[in-house]
Amino acid sequence: MKDETAVPLAVEPALVPARRRRRVRPGRAVSPYLLLLPALAVIVAVLGYPLYRLVALSFQEYGLAELIAREGRWIGLDNYETILGDRRFWTVLGRTVAFTAVTVGLTMVLGTLIALLLARLGTFMRLLITTGLVLVWSMPPVVSVNIWSWMVDYEFGVLNWGLAELGLDYFARHDWFVNPIEGFAVITAIVVWGAIPFVAITIFAGLTQVSGEMVEAASIDGAGAFRIFRDITLPILKPIFVILASLSVIWNFQVFSQIWIIRNARPEEHYFLLSIYSFVESFNASRYGLGSAIALVMVLAMLCVTFVYIRQMVRIGEID
Amino acid sequence: MSALAQTAQPRRRRRLRRVVRRFWLNLLGLVLFAVMVFPVYWMVATAFKRGNDVLSFTPQFVPRHPTLANFRDAIDRELFWSSVRNSLIVVGAVVLASVVLAFLAALALAKFRFYGRRAFVVIIFSVQMVPLAALIIPLYITLSSVGQVDRLSGVVIAYVALVLPFCVWTLRGFLAGVPKELEEAAMVDGSTRFGAFVRILLPLVGPGLVATSIFAFIQAWNEYIIAYVLLSSASKQTVTIWLANFTTGTTRGVDWATLMAGATLTALPVVVFFVLVHRRIAFGLTAGAVKQ
Amino acid sequence: MRLRLFAPAVLVVAIAIAAATATGASQASPAKAQADALTVWLMGDAQANWPEAVAAATQSFKSRHPGVDVNVQYQSWGDYKTKFEATLSAGSGPDVIEFGNTDVPKYSAAGALSPLNRSDFPNSGTWLSGLTKAGSYNGRLFAVPYYAGARGVIYRTDQYKAAGITKVPKTLAEFNAANAKLMKRFGGAKNRNYSAVYFPGRYWYAAMSFVYDYGGQIAKTKGGKWVGTLHEPKALSGLTAWRNVARSYSRANKTGDEAHPQQALVFAKGSVGSFVGNGWEWPYALDPKVGNPALAGKIGAYPMPSHTPGKYMPTFLGGSNLAVPITSKQKALAADWIAAFTNTQNMTRMATGGGVIPNTTSLARINASKPTLAPFAEAAKYSWFVPSTPNWANVESANVLQTMLSGILRNPAKTKELATAASERITEILNAR
Repeated sequence: MKDETAVPLAVEPALVPARRRRRVRPGRAVSPYLLLLPALAVIVAVLGYPLYRLVALSFQEYGLAELIAREGRWIGLDNYETILGDRRFWTVLGRTVAFTAVTVGLTMVLGTLIALLLARLGTFMRLLITTGLVLVWSMPPVVSVNIWSWMVDYEFGVLNWGLAELGLDYFARHDWFVNPIEGFAVITAIVVWGAIPFVAITIFAGLTQVSGEMVEAASIDGAGAFRIFRDITLPILKPIFVILASLSVIWNFQVFSQIWIIRNARPEEHYFLLSIYSFVESFNASRYGLGSAIALVMVLAMLCVTFVYIRQMVRIGEID
Repeated sequence: MSALAQTAQPRRRRRLRRVVRRFWLNLLGLVLFAVMVFPVYWMVATAFKRGNDVLSFTPQFVPRHPTLANFRDAIDRELFWSSVRNSLIVVGAVVLASVVLAFLAALALAKFRFYGRRAFVVIIFSVQMVPLAALIIPLYITLSSVGQVDRLSGVVIAYVALVLPFCVWTLRGFLAGVPKELEEAAMVDGSTRFGAFVRILLPLVGPGLVATSIFAFIQAWNEYIIAYVLLSSASKQTVTIWLANFTTGTTRGVDWATLMAGATLTALPVVVFFVLVHRRIAFGLTAGAVKQ
Repeated sequence: MRLRLFAPAVLVVAIAIAAATATGASQASPAKAQADALTVWLMGDAQANWPEAVAAATQSFKSRHPGVDVNVQYQSWGDYKTKFEATLSAGSGPDVIEFGNTDVPKYSAAGALSPLNRSDFPNSGTWLSGLTKAGSYNGRLFAVPYYAGARGVIYRTDQYKAAGITKVPKTLAEFNAANAKLMKRFGGAKNRNYSAVYFPGRYWYAAMSFVYDYGGQIAKTKGGKWVGTLHEPKALSGLTAWRNVARSYSRANKTGDEAHPQQALVFAKGSVGSFVGNGWEWPYALDPKVGNPALAGKIGAYPMPSHTPGKYMPTFLGGSNLAVPITSKQKALAADWIAAFTNTQNMTRMATGGGVIPNTTSLARINASKPTLAPFAEAAKYSWFVPSTPNWANVESANVLQTMLSGILRNPAKTKELATAASERITEILNAR
């Protein structure tokens, strides 16, 4: 269903009395630039210089000595060559892309299902579950990841204990992080668990925009739940889905603290994602030029991954 | 059977089906709640455990010797109240500023066609892709040059700048989802375009505003590294720094029970905020909407 | 009309920021005092374990410099270096800063620290050589020794007795024999959780002691460059000896470390016969809140024995140093505060109250009469330290040793392979740039 709001004014004479059309000239009203100005001003003022610095530093050698002297050494593309020539970088990149795909997929699917469930529940249950979701969402990583860390602990973890009690002896005193597949299963669970509340609550907020009358009319006409979802709900939710998915991609691509904390600030190399690789290789070693280059490469990678969405956005100019 | 009874039976069956469906849905909801909230429960349960019951070969689902000592220790710990107060100040300012600024900017991006709009949209979207670790030191230099280091206002400004892209982006999406007829309907009343925005759109994107403000609240409440780097004085510390001191403050062990008690206490403001605003999420288009 | 929209937005933002600023401003001291205040960054350990020493130093400092305030800010081990570098980049920062001793070479080599004169500080003639070496670079002193920690074997005296171990092991062979007895008496099928010696896989501070005991080392200089030497025969013997201990007598997590969970607390749970720990871990196991006070009187300690009779296994000499950053505007005052803080009286306070090893050998006997502290001071007689080079900190951040150690425990047959890989990585990192 094409987005109604994209239809320009001129083609809607039936909806708007001719007399009124004159009143709604865009030029007379508030300038969009003025609306945009405050937000833009804050972003530029605070992030403008750091972003400029980021780009500049990526072409410099900037270690501790340069930090103290407050002057870097220009080395052109050397930092980029170092990164792109590092075999480990490519492995980590691939791993990050796979991890992002899995976590975003799971988050979106589960979040949507939960939102749909919320829409069908009574007030009390709905409040109970949304409060639970907000509790999960509001836990700071230092607390929630440590709790998870205990839950999967080798000796004292409730997960191992529970599974052993069920008779699965393999899990008695089982270290979940020896095998990277098991380790990433745990990390994925933590990330998805932490991401679901926001997605579920936002989609639920979007669901409230779906007119109840339309749904009831459709169901009286005989449409099943799935068709209602596909033909009525989905089109209205589409902008929100795309937003959430693209934001989830950006956030999950940069996952850092969950892995950092659950490996006790010393992750093994097979748990490196791009942000950890960046931190260990550069910032932790005070090599800020290299770190900036890696950051820009990450931005580039994210732009590529969300490219399709951006192109659609720019080309169709979907909103007016 | 009488005609009345004949129609009564299918109605009763429909009602029964609905009740059964309700039951299963509620059950599913409960299971979901239990699974999602289990780690939170574990945190709260640990807060009530004695220190040496925290690590146990047989996990204690319900504390065998519940105690309030951890809460007392957390509250008595230095800087607890001051860090809560600082966090509340920072968060309040951030939510207020970011929601207002973001709504205005989102209006511009969603409802107007103007030169450079596409560029702005892409920029605002892409700014979020920059990893925070890369920005810390330049950010510190920027704020230091205007004397905003070791000041709560510096932290507020930094946080607003960091959550704005997301808030603008999300609100833009919500605004885009509002059909144009509603704006037209408002303007029929003779109001200006901006008046229409405020009177009609604002309530309609209420849910979006709530979701955005909760996001801004939580981001500001839980953010650590920027607050840690920018704030040096103990009196300016926020809650996350206070919590982090438990785990890495000394080389000696971590008092997990007290940490969890502190974490439980500091989670309360978020929950309170949510409870205050959650009703807005439920109000939908029915408030003065156009009939289909 | 334009004002209608603009004004409210600006007003709201202005109010928000003003509110935050107002609070901030009211908490800031008058500008004059701030300019004269000495900023000191210490770790939380000082606040928790010897606050009287800090107070005494500040008091003595203020009596000599009446107009100058001292502002002590306690930092977190987790991210203090990031914070420090941020302040360096802005040209500001503390006047005195505490570093972990393995972190100092990186900053002294980069010129981030101000050179100091040994003669300005008390007891400098008898400073512990390990800490002094860590704090010096190219023959100049950049960071004053603060305190050290040594590790010994902390054990359950009652379990040793029950297993028939009558005397404290004096050689590695005796140590292993004792452990075997403990496992037979308490472990195996009787208690799958039991460890005669609790040795998490990534506990490199204790594991590397074996390497140094057999004459090996982590790296050495050769022709101006560093070379990793963990794959050489002596180091391999050490690694093999460690591997045998950890695999036979420990049920600890092979990829865990000594702090997660805190090994003293696991010890307090009762299924552990002994572990290698710092002096403070003994009273920590007895902590009324998180430990087990019922174990008081059932704990003892002895220095980890060497495989060579008559010696102890070298212990890692951990500790901290105090430095004056180059960005400080009051370097002389900073040095003066450090001198006040590290004088004999305060060192005595730290050693007796905090249970650490003081920075001077003249006080080495101070805890000799205390059975809970004497073994650790004794163990410090034989010590080892990491390669003294600025890039060492990067080896630590890259977790080279931990990866090697946990790999060896899980694949004992690959010991030589893993050690070689680690050596190569160390060579690469130490020689980088």
